[in-house]
Amino acid sequence: MGQQLFIFGAAFLGSAVESTEALTIVLAVGLTRGWREPLLGTVLAIVLLAALVLAFGQLIVTTIPEWALKLLVGALLLLFGLRWLHKAVLRSAGVVAMHDEDRAYQETVNQLGVAVTRRDWVGFILALKGVFLEGLEVVFIVIAVGGPGHAWTAAIAGGVAASVVVAAAGVAVRRPLARVPENTLKYAVGILLTSLGTFWAAEGMGASWPGDFLSIFALAAVFLLSSRLAVTLIRRPSLA
Amino acid sequence: MNFLRAAGREVLGLFVNDWVQSGVIIVILAAGWFAVSKLGAPALVLLVLLLAGQVVWFARAEAKRSV
Repeated sequence: MGQQLFIFGAAFLGSAVESTEALTIVLAVGLTRGWREPLLGTVLAIVLLAALVLAFGQLIVTTIPEWALKLLVGALLLLFGLRWLHKAVLRSAGVVAMHDEDRAYQETVNQLGVAVTRRDWVGFILALKGVFLEGLEVVFIVIAVGGPGHAWTAAIAGGVAASVVVAAAGVAVRRPLARVPENTLKYAVGILLTSLGTFWAAEGMGASWPGDFLSIFALAAVFLLSSRLAVTLIRRPSLA
Repeated sequence: MNFLRAAGREVLGLFVNDWVQSGVIIVILAAGWFAVSKLGAPALVLLVLLLAGQVVWFARAEAKRSV
């Protein structure tokens, strides 16, 4: 039960961050050029992403031996989680500017022209590309956290729940979700995924963790401490 | 074609931020695998400390580079 909750939480938080970025693109296109084509592009991207989850999820679970799956997915999860953690540390320390959804929204709007009345392929392609590319990270998170632990239901539920919550919030406010504490979320997800990746990679190497799944919390504490140490060592006055 | 190239870049970018850091992480994992096969569970402490240590090391390195 604890493992399922952990996996749901990791999939939910990781997917929420990426869904927020995808929502910003769809809002920018929809509010600037009309909604029909951007929504069609979004639906097509979601269908393609769901097909990827089903195809790759089924493939890796049925064809790769469990130890190799844990080692491979653990190593990829570690690379992915450490990349997020590294960025979050630099942003927390003021070395790199925080990600700003309002600015990302404005940049997308500036790239677009005025509203169009006929079939709008630009709006369709922009929404499709934006949602698909941001969604690739959601697909990876869902497959990686759900696959090795045979916790597909929890992982997919986490990913879908996050997308639904973010989409509902976007429909409600009709502007970018600039108040989502994106860096804090990325920091937390970076630590969760790095811990999970370390746990599975080591299990794939043949090691047994003391306390089994509970040792993930100890791993999370170690990565939290090391990242806070890094922030303390490199802290600068905050950037806008 | 542009779309496929962007998707390829996106997939690679999921795992690689800095090639040197990614290489170091893979070397740590390979060393950890070797150590686990020889020493068993105690090698996990070394593996975790090395992974945690590189977080600090590469953050400091990037902070110095961006001064």
